[in-house]
Amino acid sequence: MRVARPRRSRRTLVIVVVLALLSVTLITLDARSGTDRITAGLRSVAHDVFAPIVAGVNDVLRPIGDFFAGSVHYGALQAENQRLQATIGQLQLQLREVQGEAKQQRELRALEHLDYLPDDKTVTAQMIGFDLSDLDADITISKGRDQGVTVGEPVVGAGGLVGQVVEASHTTAVVQLITDPRSSVGVAFGPTDQLYAEAFGQGAGKPLAVSFLPTGAALHRGERMYTNGLNDAQYPAGIPVGTVRTFHASAGTGTASATLQPMANLSELAYVAVVQWTPGL
Amino acid sequence: MTSREVTRGLLVLVVTLVLQLTVALELQVGGAHPELLTGLAVVAGLVGGPERGAVAGFCSGVAIDLFLPTPFGLSALVGTVIGAAAGQLGSSGVDRSHPLFLPVAAAAGSAIGVIMFAVVGTVLGQPGMLSARAAVAAVVVGVSNGILSYPMGAACRWALGQEGTGSAWRGTLVSGDGS
Repeated sequence: MRVARPRRSRRTLVIVVVLALLSVTLITLDARSGTDRITAGLRSVAHDVFAPIVAGVNDVLRPIGDFFAGSVHYGALQAENQRLQATIGQLQLQLREVQGEAKQQRELRALEHLDYLPDDKTVTAQMIGFDLSDLDADITISKGRDQGVTVGEPVVGAGGLVGQVVEASHTTAVVQLITDPRSSVGVAFGPTDQLYAEAFGQGAGKPLAVSFLPTGAALHRGERMYTNGLNDAQYPAGIPVGTVRTFHASAGTGTASATLQPMANLSELAYVAVVQWTPGL
Repeated sequence: MTSREVTRGLLVLVVTLVLQLTVALELQVGGAHPELLTGLAVVAGLVGGPERGAVAGFCSGVAIDLFLPTPFGLSALVGTVIGAAAGQLGSSGVDRSHPLFLPVAAAAGSAIGVIMFAVVGTVLGQPGMLSARAAVAAVVVGVSNGILSYPMGAACRWALGQEGTGSAWRGTLVSGDGS
């Protein structure tokens, strides 16, 4: 037995090192432009396989999840009034559903009239998931490659720009929101939209940080910013991005910074439109 | 590992993954949600030892990497390390008979896993991962996985064919690497 323990320790170490190296290999494959299609393909297959399962389970479990979520928001339940609170929760759930349906109808009507995209074809999709990771800002939508959605296409909501498709399986797609820390949007503003800057995501629920403002540029609260069509043409020009929330200019250095409140209500998205527009053109 | 362990382990993994993609995503607290697969890696290590913890962590990491926009393999790397580390803790001289051993170890291991994910992600050039949100996520994930450690432990013992050996909080965890 004294001999077995070091052998086991060595074997454990070998297994851990091999798995760690395998993980690093996967990370490298994913990062290299030539081999990232392998991991993208794996992700696409996984989304296709699990999408119907997740949808089915959600249909069954969502009412239960809503009940527990409601419990969290409304405080701890007392044993003696549990039934009464459950009834209240169900009534509130019904009310939210009614309000939600009305809101969805409004969003769908708004998506039918995107006056800032008069010539581009769009695919309307429902949001079916959000924030797969605690450290990202993304949503999953109900349309994928089979419906013409491809990686890189811009996504808009009723109010303005929502984000960009970063993954597309056959039936679903993942959209990186403009608030994601990895997102950057080239914006235009000013009386004739001829002043340019860059808006960076700072995380879900936070405003965008606007950098590279032109020297001497003066912004006022509520001023709108639009996509500028530059930035290697990640987005077509003219899509509303957000309104100025704060603006600070340093008289000494001449530098300025601002924050931008997204026009689209990213925390309450139900439907979005994927713009059939190819980046870089 | 026997074929029965592999089959049962895959079943536990798939069920946990489906629960993660459905129920767990809905349970948002402070903008963060439970990460069941992180908990599964830690508990598998505590129950089955470092080898099985590393394998379970790697598999659960790959599974969730299929759905995350972060670099593919990042969760697998973190899962491997925390699964093995949890297994090492489970086979060390810590008093495993204490009723709070499993939930406290699962909570701490899960929270460390979230922070490690953010740190390694930052090293790999992912912006915005090391933020206050990571700290909130670590707390939420730690607490939720601590609470869920008992059913997770039962599922791991079932997968490893140890359902008759009692439970962690009764002090009858398997020792060593579980091989």
